[in-house]
Amino acid sequence: MYVLTEYIVRGIQAGSIYGLLALPMSLLFATAGTIDFAVGAYALLAAAVATIVAGPLGIAIAIVAAISAAAAMGVIFLVLTRTGTRDHIVFALASFGLAVAIASFILWQFGTQAFVRASFSQFWSLGGIRISPQGVINLGLGALVTLLLYLLLYWSDLGRMMRAAAANPTGAELAGIPVARIQFGTYLAGGLLGGLAGIMILYSAGLDFTASLSLTLGGFGAAIIFGITSPLRCLLGGVAMGVAEALAAGYTSGMVTAMVPFLFVLIVLSVSNIGGGAMAGDRP
Amino acid sequence: MTGMLAATGIRMSFGGLTALKSGTIEVAAGTIIGLIGRNGSGKSTLFNCMTGYFRPKVGKITLSGRDITGLQPHRIVEQGIVRTFQTPRLDFDANARAAVLCGFYPARTSTFLGALAGLPGVRREERRLAEKADHIIERIGLGPQRDQPLGTLSMGQVRLVEVARCLAANAKFVLLDEPAAGLTREEQLVLCGQIRELAKQGIGVLLVEHNFFLIHELCERVTVLEEGAVIFVGTPGDVARDPGVLRSYLGAAAEYAGGRVAE
Amino acid sequence: MRGLTSRPNTMIVLGLAIASVALAARDPVWTDTWVIVGVYVLIALSTGISYGQAGILSMSQGAFAAVGGYTAAVSTLRFKLPPGVDLLIAAALPALLAYGLARVVTRLTALATALATLALGSVIEIGLRNMDNITGGYIGLAGIPGIGMIDTPLKYCALVWAMICVCVLMYENLVNSPFGRALNVIRHDRVRAQADGVNVPQLLSAAFAFSAAMAGSAGWLYAHYISYISPNSLDTQTSISALLMSVIGGSGIILGPLAGTVFLDVLVRHLPAQELQGMFYGGALILILILAPTGLLGLVPPLLAKFRANRGSRRTTKAARVKPEAAQ
Repeated sequence: MYVLTEYIVRGIQAGSIYGLLALPMSLLFATAGTIDFAVGAYALLAAAVATIVAGPLGIAIAIVAAISAAAAMGVIFLVLTRTGTRDHIVFALASFGLAVAIASFILWQFGTQAFVRASFSQFWSLGGIRISPQGVINLGLGALVTLLLYLLLYWSDLGRMMRAAAANPTGAELAGIPVARIQFGTYLAGGLLGGLAGIMILYSAGLDFTASLSLTLGGFGAAIIFGITSPLRCLLGGVAMGVAEALAAGYTSGMVTAMVPFLFVLIVLSVSNIGGGAMAGDRP
Repeated sequence: MTGMLAATGIRMSFGGLTALKSGTIEVAAGTIIGLIGRNGSGKSTLFNCMTGYFRPKVGKITLSGRDITGLQPHRIVEQGIVRTFQTPRLDFDANARAAVLCGFYPARTSTFLGALAGLPGVRREERRLAEKADHIIERIGLGPQRDQPLGTLSMGQVRLVEVARCLAANAKFVLLDEPAAGLTREEQLVLCGQIRELAKQGIGVLLVEHNFFLIHELCERVTVLEEGAVIFVGTPGDVARDPGVLRSYLGAAAEYAGGRVAE
Repeated sequence: MRGLTSRPNTMIVLGLAIASVALAARDPVWTDTWVIVGVYVLIALSTGISYGQAGILSMSQGAFAAVGGYTAAVSTLRFKLPPGVDLLIAAALPALLAYGLARVVTRLTALATALATLALGSVIEIGLRNMDNITGGYIGLAGIPGIGMIDTPLKYCALVWAMICVCVLMYENLVNSPFGRALNVIRHDRVRAQADGVNVPQLLSAAFAFSAAMAGSAGWLYAHYISYISPNSLDTQTSISALLMSVIGGSGIILGPLAGTVFLDVLVRHLPAQELQGMFYGGALILILILAPTGLLGLVPPLLAKFRANRGSRRTTKAARVKPEAAQ
């Protein structure tokens, strides 16, 4: 019984990282109808930078680096919209290129090393269950960010504009809302949240240069489980994925555990209506 | 060619809204039938049910007595029932010939693997289709514009290309969804000519329109829908004079405008 | 013979193949390189078919190639199948896999398909890495025999480029058929395709299966050539590279993926460090998407048109000077 609970707790803590990655995914999908494949790369970049520059300063620089990379993607996005690109897939492809470029940069500069830092040597014990302090921090941060994002979206003017841009970009534009700037900002948010997630992973399980796409997929999977619409659902989705992964690690083989995020994506996409767009919108 | 496309008692609801209560209409081969009604009267719903895009739970669609209700859209096309779209769905970078060639799909004679292998039958077929496409384009009067991208043609010409695509599909019934929208009076007359040609060849035409000029010019019979049910069936002249129809379109001013509309 | 002149792309590739293989024969290093380039061209071509023609952004072509390669390895190592027979299975197995998945994948938009196939590719990769008794796990399978008479690198080179010519021929046949046209309509507007009488899921499944078979056959050749296959040989990285090569060259154009692969491969060899490959590919993709969205080969038709227009205007002005009265 304790073992099961321990797995679940571990899963919840790890899942908050997925949740954090899921937030910018759903934001960008809502406001621009596309995916930023480089979110995992932002996490990787932040982790790498925080490895070479120690302490809180390193973390700060790491987050700035991640946001800068995201800003580059935002600029690419704006340039593409100027050249008359209408197809959402093109933005996604460009972010793909950036993700590949960043991963290659990391490989070049840092080699194949794993980026991992031990933060707390001692584990807490709550009622006989081992709880990692870093995990608690992860969960706390995840919940805090989700709350802040929720407040932003539903209680602020900026949030209202974002939701308007998401619901109807053309209408929002006509109402004077700077849709392109909001979309750019959403990319930046991806950099911030991805960078934060990267730091969290650095101090938990660690990662290496091959992780960027898996993280992006994991974030996407978490975003779509309960529907891609709200921050809370993203966090819950992440937690669900983390718990599934932890349970798989505990009770099944390493192979199944590694497959969990990908199976989530496959199953949810096959079963739900998300991503099906054949007759979306206009009547036949 | 004795054929009849009929919808009987179609009922269609979306969530809590009943868009169509009892849709009934008949199109015989070689005739041009009109379907009119205000926005929200259910004409689009009936249209989409007949072409397989919506699946009604109540009512039947039959083709020469054969039940085709609820068939997938592509299966309906295979039965010889072809439709156009209110906003033309075409690749505006392609040219007219390419657009018309796409219409030949239902009549294809090769298999996917056969096409990959490049069997001689496929190549002969391709040549034949190219000739047929050119022939059809000449017939609708767009010969000179054959190789121009569709985006450079006028709306009237684009609508004609859509009609040509229906011809390519060897249609027995052509269902036109507001084809006159966006056309000048001259273009409308050209379109009328082409639609009459369709009927002359024995094709049954269903014309959904807001433009009463076209209805008046072409249709031998008109069905009027209001709030999901049929309120009148008759000739265009009768329709223009019926008080029920006038009330539906013009509200209280109907009695006053009554005499004028029939001109 | 007359039939072939209506297949210009095949003629071009045939000429290129003959010339390049002859050139590569002069130096064993070039020969080896050209075999590998050939494998990548095949995989990029398969991406071109599924994305450029059918709009299915498949990120699992590398996985299909891996399935083909492992099939080749297992059939010849364990089941001692005669050489060449395993090609049929190596092509058929990925095709079946793709056909089965297609029901899921073809419902989705291109973006969702990319994610689904990315996930699928990762699942296949993990499976291959872990099924130790069949696939040799992390270590992979070694000692894969050759293909009968094909026993020198030059023969492999000729074989792979012959396969490329056959694939381009099939691709060109497809494009010049009702199915190719229907696929293009699907890519542009599925509702329109339905209204043309196209059974959209079925046709997309067929196209996807065809592209998977092509990738599988590339894996088959790779496994026999290198005589060794591991989970890292043909993986998600391969899928990504193939996609980038295809888009950079021009995914909608038959020879686009080929041009992209050759172009990128040649340039990558001049990079100061192998690790920079990703930065180069990623940067090239972004540049192409901004400057030439239809790919490198997509720049050709407008250039040709401009060239012809210049020549034409020079001719008409000459004619006008010669026969002014004819211009009535």
